Amino acid sequence: MKSRIAAAFRAFFRRESLEREMDEEMRFHIEMETRKNLGRGMTPEQASTEALRGFGGLDRHKEEGRDASGIPWLESFSQDTRIALRGLKRNPAYALASIATLALGIGANVAVFSVVHAVFLQELPYGGGDRLVRLRQDAPAAGIEDAAFSPVEVADYRSQTRTLQGVVEYHSMSFILLGQTQPERVRTGVVSADFFDVFRVKPLLGRLFLPGEDAHGAEPVLLLSYDYWMKNCGGDPHIVGRAFRMNDKIHTVVGVLPPIPPYPDENDVFMPTSACPFRGGAAASNNRNARMVNVFGRLKPEVRLADVDRDLAVIAGKLSAAFPRDYPGKASGFTVHGIPLTRELTQRARPTFLILLATVALVLLLACANVANLTLARHLRRHREIALRSALGAGRGRLARQMLTESTVLSVVGGVLGLALAAGVLRLLVAFAARFTPRAGEIRIDAPVLLFALAISIATGIAFGLVPALSRQDNLAAALQESGRSTLGSSRYGLRQALIVVQVAVSFMLLIGAGLMLKSLWKLQAVDPGFDVQRVETMRVALNFSKYDNADKRRAFFRRLLDDLAGRPGVDSLGVVGTLPLNQDGGPQNNSFEIEGRPTPSPDLRPQADFQQVSPDYFRTIRAPLAAGRGILASDRPETPKIAVINQTMARHLWPSESPIERRITFDEGKSWITIVGIVGDIRQNGLDRVPGDQAYVALDQYPSLAGSILVRSALSPQAVIGLVRSAVRTIDPDQPVDQFRTLDELRANALASPRLTSILLAAFAALALLITSAGIAGVIAFSVTERTQEFGIRLALGAHPRQVRAMVLRQGMTMVAIGLALGFLGAHLLARLMSGLLFEVRATDPPTFLAMSAILAAVAAAACLGPARQATAVDPMTALRAS
Amino acid sequence: MTPPRTDLLQGTLDVLILKTLFAEPMHGWGISQRIQQLSEDVLQVNQGSLYPALYRLESRGWIRSSWGSSENNRRAKFYELTRAGRKQLAEERESWERFVAAVGRVLEAT
Repeated sequence: MKSRIAAAFRAFFRRESLEREMDEEMRFHIEMETRKNLGRGMTPEQASTEALRGFGGLDRHKEEGRDASGIPWLESFSQDTRIALRGLKRNPAYALASIATLALGIGANVAVFSVVHAVFLQELPYGGGDRLVRLRQDAPAAGIEDAAFSPVEVADYRSQTRTLQGVVEYHSMSFILLGQTQPERVRTGVVSADFFDVFRVKPLLGRLFLPGEDAHGAEPVLLLSYDYWMKNCGGDPHIVGRAFRMNDKIHTVVGVLPPIPPYPDENDVFMPTSACPFRGGAAASNNRNARMVNVFGRLKPEVRLADVDRDLAVIAGKLSAAFPRDYPGKASGFTVHGIPLTRELTQRARPTFLILLATVALVLLLACANVANLTLARHLRRHREIALRSALGAGRGRLARQMLTESTVLSVVGGVLGLALAAGVLRLLVAFAARFTPRAGEIRIDAPVLLFALAISIATGIAFGLVPALSRQDNLAAALQESGRSTLGSSRYGLRQALIVVQVAVSFMLLIGAGLMLKSLWKLQAVDPGFDVQRVETMRVALNFSKYDNADKRRAFFRRLLDDLAGRPGVDSLGVVGTLPLNQDGGPQNNSFEIEGRPTPSPDLRPQADFQQVSPDYFRTIRAPLAAGRGILASDRPETPKIAVINQTMARHLWPSESPIERRITFDEGKSWITIVGIVGDIRQNGLDRVPGDQAYVALDQYPSLAGSILVRSALSPQAVIGLVRSAVRTIDPDQPVDQFRTLDELRANALASPRLTSILLAAFAALALLITSAGIAGVIAFSVTERTQEFGIRLALGAHPRQVRAMVLRQGMTMVAIGLALGFLGAHLLARLMSGLLFEVRATDPPTFLAMSAILAAVAAAACLGPARQATAVDPMTALRAS
Repeated sequence: MTPPRTDLLQGTLDVLILKTLFAEPMHGWGISQRIQQLSEDVLQVNQGSLYPALYRLESRGWIRSSWGSSENNRRAKFYELTRAGRKQLAEERESWERFVAAVGRVLEAT
């Protein structure tokens, strides 16, 4: 076998001399034969004719000779490629149209595959990442969803689990870091000392935390994230050992982390739990209800997820039996279970990219059908050339192989361009994917993606090349005769029509996808957020935990800031809120309370609402209308009775038949009461697409918070407003940073960004599909009109009205469209089911969308038929009849 | 009058070529003439299968070719048997004889 391959290569590389030799040898043979014939007494002409006849087709013998000498695959491949390139050069319009279509189809697939590969197929960039889980506790009946754990509980699970090795905790805080050029607010991951050991992350510089560094009283140490180290420390290789001041303590950098997904949050630095003043406080570490941390664990070898869930259920059962006051009762459906980290990191991206994957696959199918159609048309035009080659002795297999080579050359060129296209849009795609998954940073065009590009290019070439290659059933004699044209076309024409039907079906599916998404976006855009987003600049102030360690200091800071800014020229109004509206990070932070005069049978069944601390002018600043009662006033002081304003949803929900005004609620079982003084219109607090839940607002002055967002309504430029607030903050506390500058309008745009981008992508693909399909329809109809010129001529000569002829052509085209629509309708129903997760207030089978898209497609198709139809009636009967 | 011609059995051309070349190196036309002559014009070599067969045998290493000059001083390609070709000829001959004997036994059975 080896020697035969070697022989083939040898033969291949000396193929030209081989070709010459073959030629010479055969000529010699014929010469000898002629000579012999002469000897038998034939005339010279007779002798040579006889010799040639005896020898048969020279070309075929050579062809077979080539096959026999072991050259075939290599030789004919390179020969086919040369023939293909020559043929394509002769027909650049066909080549360009095909390559462009294929480049788009393949490029789109490669781009989406690079995301799918990085996010869904690749292993997590942690050692053995598939064995990591996050624990979550839920009590659906009590309205508790994915509750955090308290440090006391973490210790319980850590010591009692039999299925997890390493149970570690995590939470994220904003701290102020001093030691850089100016005070910086850093997002800090607060973790168990063995957190990165459980995640199996190796430090880039220095070391990870040591056991015991999270023990009470340990020296504060820091790990820097890769991004923070690169951006804020300039990638300083000597950073280890550097000291920063945070929370009035000296923290020493012990190491730098490698680039890992920004999960669970985009943290700048990490510290052990003992260094966090919040977590380290005595109240937090002993209170079972101080639920503030996330918990992660690694499955022991051989253990399965179901084992973990059973194990956790046992522990949870023991805990709720031992501390009944701290856990919701049995009726609440309380469970604790583990979620694979793989799912945690990718779940949100799944529906969007599944849709995109389906979309680009459809686009590629459409591209294949279109190019197959172009190829068929091209073969029809050069059928005589092909018939001639076939008559000269080129075998059927050889011709088919050559067509496949041609289509593969096209698709590989298209694939290379497509790859370039994918590489070009990669950065945009990463930014897009980052909205859905922390793994976006891993997206790149690497070996598997290149391999995919190659495979898909070749498969595409074979797919669209096979159709015309297999449909070759020409009658040679007919093809060589002038009149063979119409008989030849018929079977191909049917095939071309079938391809158009496929194109119409695929286009319809893409149109439905885009239509649904656009309608959903339109609905989302039409959502009234409950406030006016124009001309309001926002920014965040998170006070230093250790400096502002009691309510009075916090209250004093915000009061002074508001007073300072209130009178400034250009500032119309300003307010403070704990969490900005349209906040998409997590759901509402619900607190349970009791209503005066309505005792609840068990703590699990208490009503819940999200509470926001707001300053007096908050509602006025965002122009949220009061529905009843009064807002929060400057006169609501710590010493006056506690008050709250609730939203309309909460009013309707909890006081359906009476006014909530003057009713009282309590958080602390009646130790203190809060009086409801007003009702405000619903505000979309947790994203545009989330219907507001029960929401209450309390006075910032009565419940001062450590962090708040400042909102300024002003005619000034955002820059000027930021400058104003910054200087005001600096006069109060020079060490206090201000950040997260965004206008409310940007906040709203941001909430719309992912659906908008998805819509744009789907709409662009659908428009492309529509364009390609209408061109395809026009091409096929135009061809059939040319074929039937004579027929139309006769019809017109016999008195048919041009309108009738036009209608005939149109009917022919629209029949294909109708079949395509019917098929597409079925396909779209399947596709739409995939989409339902992405849609907002639109059913996946939304009849108006289906109707509108059918109409658009039919209209475009009819327009595409119109040109050729007109051409059919432009036929002069006499010319048409003479043409035969 | 031409004697009745018999088409070559599939696969027998190879062994005939090998046999013909056993005596001396020869060019393609010579091979076809010799087969015709030895078979007393019964076996007619189809040129269309002769050359592919020659290239096939060469690529298998049973014959090799070189350019020489023909009896009338024309450049011609001569084929000769290789060592492997000799072995192959012996094998094919044996299997041919087995085949002929077997067919004969069947035909003569009563």
